[in-house]
Amino acid sequence: MTSPDRTVAPAPGPLRSFDFPAVESSALENGVALDVVRLPRLPVVTAYLSLPAGEEALQSERAGLATLTGEALEGGTSKRGGAELAEALEALGADVDVHSGWAATTISLSCLAERLGEGLSLLSEMVREPGFPEAEVERARAQQLARIRQQRMDPGSLATYRAHREIYADGEPYARPALGREATVAPVGVEALRGWAEAFLHAGGASLTVAGDVDADEVHRLASQALGDWRARPVERSVPAGRSRGGGRRIVVVDLPNAVQSEIRVSQVGVPRNAPERAALTVGNAILGGTFNSRLNLNLREENGFTYGVRSRFAGRRGPGPFSISTAVDTENTPAALREIFHEVERILEGGPTAEETEATRDYLAGVFPLRLESTSQVASKVAEQRIYELPADEWTGYRDRIRDVTPEAAHTALRDRLRPDELVVVISGNAGELRPGLEALGVGPVEVTDRESAVDDVAEPTG
Amino acid sequence: MPDATLDFELHRRRLDNGLDVVVAPDPSLPIVGVNLWYGVGSRNEREGKTGFAHLFEHMMFQGSKHVPKNGHFDLVERAGGSLNASTSFDRTNYFETLPSHHLDLALWLESDRLGFMLPAMTQEKLDNQRDVVKNEKRQRYDNQPYGDWLERLLGLVWPSDHPYTHTVIGSMEDIDAATLDDVSDFFATFYVPNNAVLTVAGDVEVEHAFDRVEHWFGGIARGEEVPAIPGNLEIPIPMAAPQRVEVVSDVPLARTFVGYRIPPVTDPAFAAVDLVAQLLGSGRSSRLYRDLVRTGKVRDAFAYAFPLSGGASMLLLGATGLPDADPAELETLLTDSAAGVVEVEPAELDRALALEEARLAQSLEHLGTRADRISMNTQTFDRPERVTEELAELRAVTLDQVRAAGERWVAHPDRAVVTYIPEAG
Repeated sequence: MTSPDRTVAPAPGPLRSFDFPAVESSALENGVALDVVRLPRLPVVTAYLSLPAGEEALQSERAGLATLTGEALEGGTSKRGGAELAEALEALGADVDVHSGWAATTISLSCLAERLGEGLSLLSEMVREPGFPEAEVERARAQQLARIRQQRMDPGSLATYRAHREIYADGEPYARPALGREATVAPVGVEALRGWAEAFLHAGGASLTVAGDVDADEVHRLASQALGDWRARPVERSVPAGRSRGGGRRIVVVDLPNAVQSEIRVSQVGVPRNAPERAALTVGNAILGGTFNSRLNLNLREENGFTYGVRSRFAGRRGPGPFSISTAVDTENTPAALREIFHEVERILEGGPTAEETEATRDYLAGVFPLRLESTSQVASKVAEQRIYELPADEWTGYRDRIRDVTPEAAHTALRDRLRPDELVVVISGNAGELRPGLEALGVGPVEVTDRESAVDDVAEPTG
Repeated sequence: MPDATLDFELHRRRLDNGLDVVVAPDPSLPIVGVNLWYGVGSRNEREGKTGFAHLFEHMMFQGSKHVPKNGHFDLVERAGGSLNASTSFDRTNYFETLPSHHLDLALWLESDRLGFMLPAMTQEKLDNQRDVVKNEKRQRYDNQPYGDWLERLLGLVWPSDHPYTHTVIGSMEDIDAATLDDVSDFFATFYVPNNAVLTVAGDVEVEHAFDRVEHWFGGIARGEEVPAIPGNLEIPIPMAAPQRVEVVSDVPLARTFVGYRIPPVTDPAFAAVDLVAQLLGSGRSSRLYRDLVRTGKVRDAFAYAFPLSGGASMLLLGATGLPDADPAELETLLTDSAAGVVEVEPAELDRALALEEARLAQSLEHLGTRADRISMNTQTFDRPERVTEELAELRAVTLDQVRAAGERWVAHPDRAVVTYIPEAG
């Protein structure tokens, strides 16, 4: 055996081609969009039923209702109670999960492929004939209130929600926690759920995505049986404007006197999911803080040991979602870490990414794409995302090419257009007493301290 | 009901230096998973050195003789791959998933740190990663509500001279005390080919894969036999007497954790206990959900059988109270519901198996998970093919055996309990 040459990284073998799996699209009689992807690797299937019924459609005073309704769907139907429903699903080996997001309510079903028909039939019963038994609604409400309380005690969630409240104007849906607030959830009863279901749970604007070891014609037949005669109503959806609160660069500390570490969010209003420059922004953000080898992570973690990790992200929503840099740093090093964060933001906005960084990042993003498409649920969620955010038809088939076409200049321009360091708001949940002098000395902006209890409450109506 | 078809092709060979190699070809996607299990974890740490196995795992990403600091992340990400590592009680695993034409890159990186790690170690790197790990500990444990629950529970479930009595993250004092000499000793003792399993799963041709493994790993010298696990593994199962602690703390809701000593994962009795855990906690038709969550008695509840192999393992139950809950009642609610498993019905067992079958098949869609399960089955059971037989093992357990396991390992008072009570005001 010859001993290997270890001095240089080995050259890759011949590249294997990869195409996004073929999607067969059709429509049920009532207009429900059906997308089927055949993935025969293992005898499993995932189905996503997506309805345009998200938290963003709710007025502030009803925040949390879509989430609560979603949870209560699991509480039973007109034909069977919650326990019987769970037993029927799990006897099929089916996992059903209702997810209420900003843009949509999505009910997912995962099971062995041979059980798809029975699974779809139960899923249809859940959304078309929800029972909303009093006791189950009470349970769901109590759990949601408990989750709200848990989030208020969790330093990371607290910082995230306060950051959203700071950057969005009053009345913007994204300014509030997706779960709602105690004051908006506590009074909700069965009637409110029925009203929401009546208005939003119907075939209008619905899509069904099925990926797995299945045949498209057979899926069409099963889906038609389950959902084809569901009534469809017109859907009027407005897109949240995502207005910024303004107020300039500042630091807000949510005081946790016992904290040993600071949860830090550096945020501003970002871009919608379907922004045309999304590819350039993805590359630019990856270089700033989107990968392990990003500038932020190399600086804060690998050079300075300030943190276990730091990430930046432009969240994708129908309206302009938040941009945020997130990290957790020990109390002592918090001011120094913030200085480095601003330094890196300003550095990339001034000089832009290098050609070398851009190339490495394009390679990473294009290369890692198939790795995120191994399972039926990963593929189904991508196709469903395309429907929910009304993305272009070539969103996934053209993804790798679009990423590979991003130049350093395009990434630089996208970041400069979307990041405004003068508007970045810093929110820290941590020990305010110890942090304050160091934060004021930074000169980032005024420092305000608030307490945990009121940190994510609605802002009082402005007067005058 | 027919079982899901899980008939992966598996090939196993051992290199002359003792490295245990499994190749599992699957050409359906142009991806390969490379996974190394080293037979070392927090159980191998000696007194005053807690947290070291995990700190060492961080050092494995600080470069090796031919690979610069950050080279692992840099080169694998550049190739379009993802990578990470994790440390547990019994093992430390390192893994990459990447486009299959970069197989050599992963093998070069992994073999370089197994064969040539020490020349790249410096005090500066150790100090840096020590700070990173301390911030990891703060972020994941010290600054979290309930963050010290596992540390407290392990201290009750295991005697003080048992290797599972301390957490993987370890103590700040011990992390602070780690030296470069500790790094070289640990490396020489545990990071030897004869203490590792390497699995390559995905888009590879079998002979080519073995050839490349031999090429990169074949020249690395075999090490000494790995020393026995320190401490006393011979302990009674279940515990001899109950242990309890109440913690008044800054937590949002009351929460109780209950630990039982159970047979180790390598014991034939484990499958029945694992089923008990699933009957209690898996899905919304499970016992804990049915009895406690759906009835509005608790906020959430769960059950998990740790797959530990060192003489005994642990069944963990947990429940979080609703805001007006009486913390003193949580333990009884939880353990009464759990004890009900002694009269579990056939339909419940059928559901648990149906759910597990689908979940198992879905987890194995991911080549990274598949490679990891194969490494586990090779190292722990000396049977890589067990990856496709796990469901059959569960199916072979009878209703009476499940009830008996509930009776013997769960429906008794000899358990460890940690209860968190929210501070007033």
